Formats: sequence, C-alpha cells, structure tokens
Amino acid sequence: MKSGSKHEWPADSEWALWLARHAPALLLFARQQAGCEADAQDLVQEAVVESWRRQNDGGPPPLGWVYATIRHRAIDRARRDERRLEREAAAHLDNPPCWFDSGVDERERSLLIQKAMSHLPEIYRDVVTLKVWGELTFAEIAEALDIPANTAASRYRYGLMELRKLTKEVFA
Amino acid sequence: MNEHELERYEAELRGAAPAPLPEHFMARLQAAKPATEPARRTPIQPAVGKPRWPGWLRWLAPVMALAVALAGWLVFQGNFTGGSSVKKQPLAAATGFKADNVQLDEELVSSFDVVALLPGGQPVRFRCRQWRDQLVVTDKNHGVEIQQSSPRVEVVPVRFETY
Repeated sequence: MKSGSKHEWPADSEWALWLARHAPALLLFARQQAGCEADAQDLVQEAVVESWRRQNDGGPPPLGWVYATIRHRAIDRARRDERRLEREAAAHLDNPPCWFDSGVDERERSLLIQKAMSHLPEIYRDVVTLKVWGELTFAEIAEALDIPANTAASRYRYGLMELRKLTKEVFA
Repeated sequence: MNEHELERYEAELRGAAPAPLPEHFMARLQAAKPATEPARRTPIQPAVGKPRWPGWLRWLAPVMALAVALAGWLVFQGNFTGGSSVKKQPLAAATGFKADNVQLDEELVSSFDVVALLPGGQPVRFRCRQWRDQLVVTDKNHGVEIQQSSPRVEVVPVRFETY
C-alpha cells in the first residue's frame, strides 16, 4: 500500500472499512469524554487522522493509540476551556445523543444502559467502554489509559459489578 | 458475581451496539482521510566515484575555504596597490575556482520530545530535532571538493500528549 510515495494512502476502501468498523465505538468513548456532541465528533476526527498519520508502516494505527489520543485531547480541551465546557455539558444533559443503536423494542434498554454508564465512576466507565465496545485487550486498555494492566482488569470487574447493580431492572 | 455471570453480563452488554455515526459526521470523516503517505527523508547519497574523506580530514574543509578566501584577498590587494586599472573580477574567477556541483542536504540525527511544567503547573511539550546540514561544493577541473557540516537544533512547542 505504501511502496510509492505518490500512492494514495490509505486507500479509500481501507479507510472506509476501518471507519465503518471502529468509528461508532470511538464516538461512544468520545461522547463520554466530551462536554457536547460537537466536541465528541471533533475529538474523534482529530484522533483518527492524527493516529493514521503517525502510523508510518502504512497499516491502520493500533486502536489503543486512537483511544488514548481521544482521551488526552479531551483533557486538553477541558483544561483550555473549562467554563465553556460546563455550559455545554449542562446543555448536553438536557438533550443527550443516544449512545447505543436501538430499535423501538430495545430503546428503553439502551437508554437504561446509557444512564447507568453516565452514573458509573469515570475510572470504571472508561475501562468498561474500551473492553466491551472498543474490544481492546487489557494490555491495550492499560496503554490507552496510562494504567497498569492489572489495574485495568480489576477496574473492569468492579465496573461491571456496579453497572449490573444499576441495570438490574432489565438484566436478570 | 462469578466468572460465568460476568461473561454472560458482558455478552448482554455487547448486545447494545454503539449507535451508528450521524451521516454528516461519517461524510466528514470520509473526507478527512490523510491525503498521501507521510514524507520520508532520503538519506544523503555519497558522490559517485569520489571517495569520502576520513573523519580526521574534515578539518581540511574550513582550512581550504580560508585559503581560497585568503588567496582572493591577496589578488585583490595586488590589483589595488598596483594602481592597475584592470577591471575587478569576481573572487571565484580571480582564483580560478569554479564550482560545477553544489549539494545541499540535511540529515535527521535524532528526534525526541521534552515535557516541562509551566510555573502554573500546566504541562507543555516540546518536539526537539537535531539536524546536520551539509554543503558540498565540487570543482572537478581543479580536483577540489569542499564539505561543510553544521549541526542545527529545531525546537517546536506542541500540544501536550503522552506520546
């Protein structure tokens, strides 16, 4: 794919397939990190483009990089513009975008999971999101969140237990 | 919660797939595809058929340049003190030195990031690159080759990230 410097990189099909497969989970993670939907989309775009540019061997970047970049960019934004984010977060809570794909029958269930995830402490929520929907390994999660792999594993277990308590209405 | 319950609950959660991207956002991402392969620096190619000077002879380059300049100055002085009305010639013409090949190149020696803290405690990141600029001037007719190598440091502040 990258043998000639004039070649298109990445190919349109490779780029589109990669986005179709991973972008929904990336946006889900970004929505949890950002104060509003617009910021979440900006974070995903910046992180995806930057990670692909950094990947010099021509293949797609490791997903852990992309998630890590989203997280750090979100921290940068929060530091840079705290007041604006507070206002937008309040507006975000009034009319939050739906985090999960849901038909009519599953809408209530999806909203309950979203609400439960919102109430989950951030340290658990990040790990649960990256493991369940991002499909990262604990080693990749550790790299993305700058924590030891064992910590990621234990946070995941505690996070699932907390989430189950919060969603016991729909999950037996 | 035992392992079996954990796995079952995890599978149930996975049943709720992340929402698909809004169409306008997917179109935006599609359009944001990196345009071309990142540029790579080509290594410096040694001149074909010319032996590279050993490192300990590198000092000859500045000495040679100095000698050429001195010779030019002497010629200029001779013309001036002799009261000659001969039209002044350029230095290169006066010394007979005529460059028929000039190569300019730069070599990336190292690249690293440095993180520092501002007085307010806010982290800042600098991307540091050490370059070596090289100039090679050759006059094949006189068998002269002048090489000049000088280091250069480039420091660029970038946004704070972990890698």
